[in-house]
Amino acid sequence: MLAGCLTGDDGGDDVEGVPDEPAEDEELELVHWWTAGGEEAALNDLLESFRNEYGYSGGDINNNPAPGGAGSAIDTAIQSRVSSGDPPSTFQIWPGGSLDPYTSEDLLNPINDVWTDEMDSAYLDGVKETARHDGDFVAVPLNIHRLNNLFYNVNVVEDAGIDVDGLSDGEDLLTAMETADSEGYIGMAHQTSSTWSTLQMWEMVFMAQNGVDAYRDVLDKNVSDHESALEESLQLVVDYSDYISPNSASVTWDEANQAVIDGDAAFLHQGDWAVGEYQTASGFDYGEDWDMVPFPGTGGVYAIVMDSFVMPTNNPSPTMTKQWLRQCGSIDGQETFNRTKGSIPPRTDVPTDDYPEFLQDQASDFSDSDEQVPSIAHGSGIDPDGKSQFEEIFSGFIESWNASETASRIVDEL
Amino acid sequence: MLRRIASAFADLGSRFHGGEEAPGTEEEPSDPVTDGGTPAAASGSKRPLRHRDWVRALPFWLPPFLLVLLFVYGAISWNFVISLTGWEGLGEPSYSQLDFDMYVQFFEQVYDGAVERLNGGDTQIAEYNAFVNTFKLLIVFTVVSLGVGLGLAVLIDRGIRLENTFRTIYLLPMALSFVVTAILWRWMYRFDGGVINELLTAVGLGAFTQNWLGDPQFKLYAVIFALTWQFSGYCMIVYLAGLRAIPDDHYEAARVDGASTLRMYWRVILPQLRASTTSAAVVLMVFGLKAFDFIFVIFGGATPGPSADIMPILMYREAFGRTNWAYGSAVATILFLMALGIIAPYLYTQYKRGDL
Repeated sequence: MLAGCLTGDDGGDDVEGVPDEPAEDEELELVHWWTAGGEEAALNDLLESFRNEYGYSGGDINNNPAPGGAGSAIDTAIQSRVSSGDPPSTFQIWPGGSLDPYTSEDLLNPINDVWTDEMDSAYLDGVKETARHDGDFVAVPLNIHRLNNLFYNVNVVEDAGIDVDGLSDGEDLLTAMETADSEGYIGMAHQTSSTWSTLQMWEMVFMAQNGVDAYRDVLDKNVSDHESALEESLQLVVDYSDYISPNSASVTWDEANQAVIDGDAAFLHQGDWAVGEYQTASGFDYGEDWDMVPFPGTGGVYAIVMDSFVMPTNNPSPTMTKQWLRQCGSIDGQETFNRTKGSIPPRTDVPTDDYPEFLQDQASDFSDSDEQVPSIAHGSGIDPDGKSQFEEIFSGFIESWNASETASRIVDEL
Repeated sequence: MLRRIASAFADLGSRFHGGEEAPGTEEEPSDPVTDGGTPAAASGSKRPLRHRDWVRALPFWLPPFLLVLLFVYGAISWNFVISLTGWEGLGEPSYSQLDFDMYVQFFEQVYDGAVERLNGGDTQIAEYNAFVNTFKLLIVFTVVSLGVGLGLAVLIDRGIRLENTFRTIYLLPMALSFVVTAILWRWMYRFDGGVINELLTAVGLGAFTQNWLGDPQFKLYAVIFALTWQFSGYCMIVYLAGLRAIPDDHYEAARVDGASTLRMYWRVILPQLRASTTSAAVVLMVFGLKAFDFIFVIFGGATPGPSADIMPILMYREAFGRTNWAYGSAVATILFLMALGIIAPYLYTQYKRGDL
């Protein structure tokens, strides 16, 4: 049915450009992990906008979710299908480092014709960088969550007498947590039952203490120049650990977050997916009961956690796949999807006037940001091998809480 | 069971070569004179191939036989072949150079870890930790489950009231999935407000409360304890069946000879439960090897930390986290050989004793 896998030019799989007319005899198979309430609704909204835009019926689309938290199940399903030459039309993946195993085997089509100038100019550089491989676009980022947030319970912080806006680096945050602790509150709601939350917290601390350039060096695995900086930032996380939730080892992040809502804990460092819980809690309002500042020391930075869609080679439906990707990169598609998902659109020209107030603030912070940096814990900053190494090292770190040993392990193993 | 299969095959073979079990051939199967001609020729002339029993049974046993061959033994063999390659990433494996590099690498890592460990202190080498923890889990989990199961079985066998109710209560946890019990235990193990620590405090043992899932000293044992809870009911059922099979005379004889209850169980009853013990132990060990789900759920992913890492988790991390397919397959094969090493001696002794 299809001519071949790699055509080498921009029009992967023999389709030039992105046709406006619906394709005949094609079916779009879409694999993703959005099966929980709000996420599923957001995807369905996006699918509806896609059908309306290109004139497809529901029967043309094979919506094939691979449920499992943050893609843990999708990996096993997609990797084997793609490597055996039987890929779906498109699948959800973190852009950036997570694409490496696919791009290194030429398993993703370049999609430069999906990325029109109009789309190109609407994305910020830090985001576009994660969608490229060797100068070609291979992915379309669809949504952005911010990672460098410090959420806090306004009443707790006022009661403890902490000036949140005055916190300028990670050391200040430690002092603030000590203050909260001495007033009888949990300094920071945090989970250590799985590794990623502590890994992302260290990433923020390292960036706050050493700047974005040093952080990007770590993402590039140039760690040996930074051993003492690694150790100092890890030590700060060890110091934090005296003030985190006593239950941290046996709760999930959202169970820990409950302490912020209940007024037992002062701070929470988490991606802005945490806001969903605040919005559903009754009588817990943005600005009055909870608020957020960028993680101290990372003010001009927007640490990004994104999802994207790609076009695998040997594509079963090249026309529809490109149309789908174009829709993911359109104003219309991103506005619809992100409103329900609770994230912000990667395009800076999407109207967000009817978004919740918090998301509007995030979106304006995003367009004003100087740097957009991806993270290790959420797969965009480093390849899966590096991510897995970091996770393994950090699983040891949250047992031993030994900064120097962990720093030298990072240097040795990466 | 194996013997039954073996005899079925032998039977099959003898029919194929030796033909029908006509009364004459059964008595003097090797005597061609009484039968007139060789047995093969005799049966061939008597009944056409398509009428023979094994041929007519073909549609019933051949499809499942082929499916098992392909999906079980085929998959195991292919996994082994992959472990001999150097396959990583999402490309195609190359079969040009097959060697045992991955196995060597694994055991070198285990050795390095052991050396680090002997030189004092902990090691962070995942292979060593996973290897040692797998053994710890297998042994402690099996021994404790058997002990608890035996205790429960003896108590229930004493003719208590509501026997069926208790049996159901003890067996029920086994019906639950690891995913459910892992979440349940994560709640119970909470440091602050968890059932375990609350209970300890309530009975005045507040000094023994621990951060069960946070402290590397206790993590693995917390997992083992939960698994024991789930599987000791199974041991109880196996032992209870064993106890019920012992004739009452043995109890009475021991009593008449003046044995105390303890002595009676120790000298007369327990030795007769050897078969129950081996069969339960084998099942438990195989379950222990599969503790993957429980650990994956209770620690929210494939990085439970060095103190609770086991080989199935390591295998998953290598294969699907880092796309080191060959190395992951090697770990899987080692795990398979360990399971085989547990089951094979059992099957052999059962076979020797004629219990199969």
